[in-house]
Amino acid sequence: MNTECVAMLLAGGQGSRLGSLTFNNAKPAVLFGGKYRIIDFPLSNCMNSDIDVVGVLTQYRPYILNNYIGDGSAWALDQVQGGVNILPPYMGQKGGRWYSGTADAIYQNLDFIDRFDPEYVLILSGDHIYKMDYSKMLAFHKKQEADLTIAVMDVPWEDAHRFGIVNTDEEHCIKEFQEKPEHPKSNKASMGIYIFSWKELKKALLDDAGNRESEHDFGHNVIPMLHESGKRIYAYPYSGYWRDVGTVQSYYDANMDLLDTNCDFDLSDRNFRIFSNNTSRHPQFIGPQAKISNSLICDGCIVFGKVENSILSHDVVIHRKTSLKNVIVHTGAIIEDGAILENCIVGARARIKGDAQYITDPADTTPEIHVINN
Amino acid sequence: MKNAVGLILNVDGEDDSLKGFLQHRSLSTLPFGGRYRLIDFTLSNMVNSGLSHIGVIGSHKYSSLVDHLGTGKEWSLSRKTQDLSILSGSNNYHIGRLIKVNLRNLQNNRGFLDATGAEHVLIATPNLVTTFDFRNAYDIHLKNDSDITLIFKKDDPLYHLKDNDLYLEFTKNRISGLHYKREHTTGHFFAEMFFVKKSILEELLDLSERTGDWDLMDMIKYNIDTLRVFGAQHTGYIKRVNCLENYMKTSMDLLEYDIMAELFMGKNSIHTKIKDNHPTLYDDLAQVSNSIVGSGCIIDGTINHSIIFRDTQMNVDSHIQNSIIMQRCEIGRNVNLNYVVMDKDTKISDHTTLVGKPHAPIVLKKGTVI
Repeated sequence: MNTECVAMLLAGGQGSRLGSLTFNNAKPAVLFGGKYRIIDFPLSNCMNSDIDVVGVLTQYRPYILNNYIGDGSAWALDQVQGGVNILPPYMGQKGGRWYSGTADAIYQNLDFIDRFDPEYVLILSGDHIYKMDYSKMLAFHKKQEADLTIAVMDVPWEDAHRFGIVNTDEEHCIKEFQEKPEHPKSNKASMGIYIFSWKELKKALLDDAGNRESEHDFGHNVIPMLHESGKRIYAYPYSGYWRDVGTVQSYYDANMDLLDTNCDFDLSDRNFRIFSNNTSRHPQFIGPQAKISNSLICDGCIVFGKVENSILSHDVVIHRKTSLKNVIVHTGAIIEDGAILENCIVGARARIKGDAQYITDPADTTPEIHVINN
Repeated sequence: MKNAVGLILNVDGEDDSLKGFLQHRSLSTLPFGGRYRLIDFTLSNMVNSGLSHIGVIGSHKYSSLVDHLGTGKEWSLSRKTQDLSILSGSNNYHIGRLIKVNLRNLQNNRGFLDATGAEHVLIATPNLVTTFDFRNAYDIHLKNDSDITLIFKKDDPLYHLKDNDLYLEFTKNRISGLHYKREHTTGHFFAEMFFVKKSILEELLDLSERTGDWDLMDMIKYNIDTLRVFGAQHTGYIKRVNCLENYMKTSMDLLEYDIMAELFMGKNSIHTKIKDNHPTLYDDLAQVSNSIVGSGCIIDGTINHSIIFRDTQMNVDSHIQNSIIMQRCEIGRNVNLNYVVMDKDTKISDHTTLVGKPHAPIVLKKGTVI
């Protein structure tokens, strides 16, 4: 078992900006691309990066997430000693408390990491869609003899003000941080993926825990503190597909990227596969009058209607005389005879009545995305 | 069903028409319905009925069976309370009529029977396409204190059979005769699933060994007066796949929504080995109707009245109808297929046309490249 680097995956966030998609479900367990859940991406990345120990920090509405992760075997994370470990908040001798920030969540699980005594700790979050071989980032971290390495990517200049921006020298050493700056000095945005040398991380978390002023957040507190104390912090340049799916619009757009032939994010690539926890379902039944184009459809679906530029999760039923265009339908939803849907997200097990019409003005190039749940 | 174990037999095709598919696998692992293997039906029916110890008799072509069943995890059979045993089969030879239940297979596995503490054995063939809850039949078996309870079906036009059916003759509710001809019977035929008391099965095995007749149905027939044989009726959809023509017809039955729903969308689902595939991508130019499609496909052509298994890729300007395309096939541009069955890993290059006949489709063997 490889314990040189242990991954800690922050999966406790509520994801309130995803609206009703996270009413009874943690953000990392929200469906993506039909059959996947967001957490499949970091977990599959771990698998593809030879990381054998992953701690998953859960807090908000964890049932679906816990159940989905199971014993981790879907991502080959079911080693006898290591594998995936779900880490909820717990009671100790002095009582217990919720995780109050990203750094606090890791701080409360120092014992867990100590058990494996790793050299490095990889911090991940459960709200990004991307493929990344973390072992390359780890090699970079070692080569730079860094205390902390932050994965960064170039974003369009006009979007830079929405991100945490880093300014580096030619050796990728980070000289300055700007959190959502009005006047960004660079377009290198932090992707929220960190590799710490374990000794430095442990020391920093103990210091941070003693600081009453701190909100115990990596981005706001721990990393600036390390920067001020002169630690070696490097930016690992990543280029490739990466999306934050924290809002309804960004979630919708990233899903629709899967239907865009010009987008280089390929889920069918056998060399770097994204795995998920599958259950047995019947194959798709496509009825005689069905019309399907440019769409992704999962097992268990029954389609009698028209589906265009849409994504259907498992067990979706599309009745006759229906029309779906630019729609994401989650597991088990039923679209009844005659319904017409455009530009919307249908929540899991929702039932859309036949007289429902969600139509947007064709002239509106950025229509608001409705989330329909019931 | 605490006091019963399940046993799934190994059978071979009744004629040579399926030979092209059976070079590297037995009939039990013939791919079916977009993602299944034939044995999934019998095995899932047993599991869904509450049997927790099941033995599967393999043929000499083991690897496909072992690969498919693994530890039985997908059928919930790899728990401490439930298990799956893969048993050794014998080479079956037959001259003339095929033996429905060949006791030679069971003779090899008396250890499995000895080891079980159960008093009843549920035996079934692996090539039945049906969903069936055995619990009701088991109650009938126990209530009548039967030695043997045969599950039967009233014949109907849906059930396409070769002339090897075994018809039952009843006296009151007890079975008093077995006939290979339908004449003078009520048309109720044996559905190749039955309960038998383990003690009776062992006696019959001893008798077989002495007489050299390995056909269990013969044994029952000759001893029908002394054995307590009863029947339990199956009223749902059931078909037996044993030749190319009824493989094709049974597959195409799934395109009738009601049959598909009965088999796959009821409370008890048919389990199979899970593959981790991306969702199927229907491209801009795809036109798919009246078909069953597995996951992991990339489709850019026209498909009508066909069954497409997992991981198939199909290019633009191609047309498939009335065909069965098994796993991981690749179909080039401007290909036309009608009444074709492609086994796994088959590739068809651009500008190819293949047209078979409804009762005699063209069969492309595993790994063929055209």
